[in-house]
Amino acid sequence: MRTAAPNTLVARGLIILLMIVTLLPFLSMLSAALAPQGTYPNGLQWPADPQWGNFVKAFEVAKMDQLLLSSALIVLGVVPVAVLIATMAGYGLAKLTTNKYKWLYLVFVFGLTLPFEAVITPLYYEVRALGLLNTRFAIILPLIGLYMPFGVYWMRAHFLNVPHDLTEAAQLDGATRWKEFVLVQVPLARPAIMSLTILLFLWTWNQFLLPVVLVQDPMQRTMAGALGAFQGQWGTDIPLLCAGSLLILTPTVVLFLIFQRQFVAALMQGAVKG
Amino acid sequence: MAELTLRSVYKNYGEVPVIKGVDLDIGHGEFVVFVGPSGCGKSTLLRMIAGLEDISGGEIRIGDRIVNDVEPRDRGVAMVFQSYALYPHMTVYDNVGFGLKLANTPKDVRDRKIREAARVLQMEHLLDRRPAQLSGGQRQRVAIGRAIVRQPDVFLFDEPLSNLDAALRGDMRIELARLHHDLGATMIYVTHDQVEAMTLGDKIVVLDGGIVQQVGSPLELYNNPTNLFVAGFIGSPRMNMLPGHVDDLIDDQVRISVDGASLTLPLPFGSVSKGDSITLGIRPHALVVSPDGPLSGTVQLIEQLGNETVVRVRLKASELTVVLPGQGNFVVGSPVSLGFALADIHLFNADKKRVRRPS
Repeated sequence: MRTAAPNTLVARGLIILLMIVTLLPFLSMLSAALAPQGTYPNGLQWPADPQWGNFVKAFEVAKMDQLLLSSALIVLGVVPVAVLIATMAGYGLAKLTTNKYKWLYLVFVFGLTLPFEAVITPLYYEVRALGLLNTRFAIILPLIGLYMPFGVYWMRAHFLNVPHDLTEAAQLDGATRWKEFVLVQVPLARPAIMSLTILLFLWTWNQFLLPVVLVQDPMQRTMAGALGAFQGQWGTDIPLLCAGSLLILTPTVVLFLIFQRQFVAALMQGAVKG
Repeated sequence: MAELTLRSVYKNYGEVPVIKGVDLDIGHGEFVVFVGPSGCGKSTLLRMIAGLEDISGGEIRIGDRIVNDVEPRDRGVAMVFQSYALYPHMTVYDNVGFGLKLANTPKDVRDRKIREAARVLQMEHLLDRRPAQLSGGQRQRVAIGRAIVRQPDVFLFDEPLSNLDAALRGDMRIELARLHHDLGATMIYVTHDQVEAMTLGDKIVVLDGGIVQQVGSPLELYNNPTNLFVAGFIGSPRMNMLPGHVDDLIDDQVRISVDGASLTLPLPFGSVSKGDSITLGIRPHALVVSPDGPLSGTVQLIEQLGNETVVRVRLKASELTVVLPGQGNFVVGSPVSLGFALADIHLFNADKKRVRRPS
C-alpha cells in the first residue's frame, strides 16, 4: 500500500493535466467570446469587461432558434428510425439467423470500415438523382444508412449476450417471435438502446460534412453544419464566432450532463463487448 | 395431464447422432426421471419433447396428438430451466403470469391463478420483487410457479436443482415430490444426480450415449441393473466391479475366480461358458467383514461418517469400497477379509450384460 501512494499521486496529476488540456480550448473560447466586438482577443486572459451580450447577438445573427429547430427535425428523422431498424436487425442477426446466413452480418461489419469521406461523393450523386439535394432528407436518409453498420453491430452484440433460455422460456410461455421481441427482448435491451440513441444523437447533432456537402441552405442543416456558414459570414469577428460556436456546442454538453451515466455506460459497454 | 409416447426417436447434429432410437411410454401422472452422465442426451431428449429441438426421426406423441411438427407453445408442456430463465425486467407476479397474459386470460382469472400458485409455492410475499432480488431457491420456485399456472399436460424439468447448494437441493427435492403428489401431473425430470433420480422418480430412464440403457422403478434399477453401466451409475457409493473369468461349469453351478478368490455360484446352465470373462458386481453396503470371507486385502483408507464407516480395501489387483454400519475400528494397512451373501452379487458377461442373478 505504501508504494501505491506515489502512483496515485502521479495518476491524479495526469488526470488533472488531461482535464486542463481538454478544458483549456473551451475556456479560451469563452474568454474570447466575452471580449468586446471588433477586438482580436488572444483567448488566454479573462476580459476586464465581459460582454455577455455577444451570446445574444450570436443567437440572433446565426438564427439559432431556426437552427435548433432544423437540428431537432434532423435528429428526430434519423435517430428513432435508425435505432428501430438497428434493434430489429440486431435481434434478427443474433437470434434468428443460422450459420448459413452469417455472411449477412459481415456485410454490416464491412460498412464499419468505410469512412464517411469515402462515400460522400457517390452519395452526393445519388441524393441528387433522387431529387433530395438541399432538403433535410439529403441528410436524414444517408445518415440512417450510414449508421446501420455500427447500430446493427451494437445491438447484435447485446442480443447475443441475452441467454437463449429466455427465448425458449418465452416460446414455451406461448409467445410468437414478434411478441418475444417486443415483450422480452426489447425491454431487456433498454440499456443498449439508450446507449445507441445517445451516441446516434450526438453524431447526428455534430454532423458537419454531410450537411455542408448535400445542403446549401444553412437553415436546413444541423447546427454544426451551419457553423460552416456562420464562420464564412462572421469569420473576422472572433468574439461573435466564439460565442456562436459555444452556443452550438451547448445542447450537446447539456445532453451529456443529463445522460452522463448512460453515456459512460454506453462507452463501457462498447469496451467490454469489443 | 396426459400420457407421452416416444417411438424410435432420433436426433442427429449433422452427421453426429446424439439420440439413437429411443422408445418410451410415460403414463398419466407419472414422475419420470431421465438420468445419465453429461453428454448422454438426456437434456436433448427433454428439449425434443418440449419442441425446442427438432427431431431427426421417429414420433413424439402427447396424449393422442403427434407433436413432431407442433410449435413448443402449442404442445401443452411447461418447462423449468436449469438457469431458471426468469425475465429479469418483470416482477415475480408478471413472470408467473406471463404465459397467461399471452393466452389472453382475463385479468381476474389470471390474478387468481397467480396468487394460487404463489400460495402453493409459499412465495406470496415475493410477488412484487424482481428476480435479481431473489435467492436461488426463491428463483427456482418462481420458475416452477410459472410452469404450474399454465396447467400444462406435461411438466418438464431440466436439472432444476443443480444450481442450488446441497441443503436447499434437499429441501426443494421434497417440495417437488409434494408438488407432484398435489398436482398429480405428468412430470419429466432431467438430472445427472442419481440420488435425485432415486428419490423423486416413479420411473427412471437411464441414458448413455443417446441410448436408453434401462427403464424401471428406482428399486428395480438398484436391484436388477441390466448392464454394467446401470450397475455403476445407480447407487452411491458406486458398485464395486471385480473382473474375473469362469473356471468351470458343474451341473447348474459355476466356479469363477475374481482377484485371487474362487467362488461357486448357482447359475442356469448355458448363461456362461468355461473361460468366459465376467465381472462380479457387489454394492459397498453388501460387503461385511468376515474372517472366512473370500475376499482378502488391506485397508487403504478410512472415512468415518458417524453413522457408517467407508473403508477402501486393496485386493490383489483391484480396490473395493466397503460401507459398514456404525463407527468401525480399522487401522490403515491392516489385513481384512470380506464376505457377502450370494443374493447380493451381480454378474455381468463380457458384453457387459447382466447374467441372470443367482438365486
